[in-house]
Amino acid sequence: MRHFLWMALFAALTSVVFGVVVKGSDRHRLTYGLKVFGEFLAVAFILGWILYFLPLR
Amino acid sequence: MVAKQIERSTASTPPRAWWIGVAAWAVPGLGHLLQKRWGRGLLLGGAVWGMFFVGLALGGHLFRVSGNDQGFSIILQALPMVANIGSGLLYIVCWLTNTGFVEQAQRVTYEYGNTFLLVAGLLNYLAMLDAFDIAAGRKR
Repeated sequence: MRHFLWMALFAALTSVVFGVVVKGSDRHRLTYGLKVFGEFLAVAFILGWILYFLPLR
Repeated sequence: MVAKQIERSTASTPPRAWWIGVAAWAVPGLGHLLQKRWGRGLLLGGAVWGMFFVGLALGGHLFRVSGNDQGFSIILQALPMVANIGSGLLYIVCWLTNTGFVEQAQRVTYEYGNTFLLVAGLLNYLAMLDAFDIAAGRKR
């Protein structure tokens, strides 16, 4: 769970920067930042489950 | 035609934009604050500073090229060092005080820390370019 929180913090801080530097209205920046944050989490979950089923040991 | 466009855009860049760019690199968030973009400056600065200090707290380490590195090893150190240098004075102060350059690979969060530190520098490069573009009038 702690690893997930660190990943979520990383996603949040990165999304803030992406949201701020993107061109457009403030509303667009907010929605873009939230979208990037959601994508970070979604990709992490998908990759996590893929790696879980891979016989890496 | 492309050459003309590049020439025109370079010629129209005010000198102040370059200083803003340097300030934005040196102190994350300062480039926007100097242009009275308070909200953006605080958000960018807060994100980069926060990411940098969280990275240090998690046991991440900063990269530098030392005299012992040779051949391929130099590239392996130099590329992440370029990313770390993006943090500006934060990196330089750590370098002067020898803080954060010791590897703590035994810590569980070591790789997280490295990633936070690397990405903090890279994000500050983005923030620096944004501040530069605003100062140059290419962005609002």
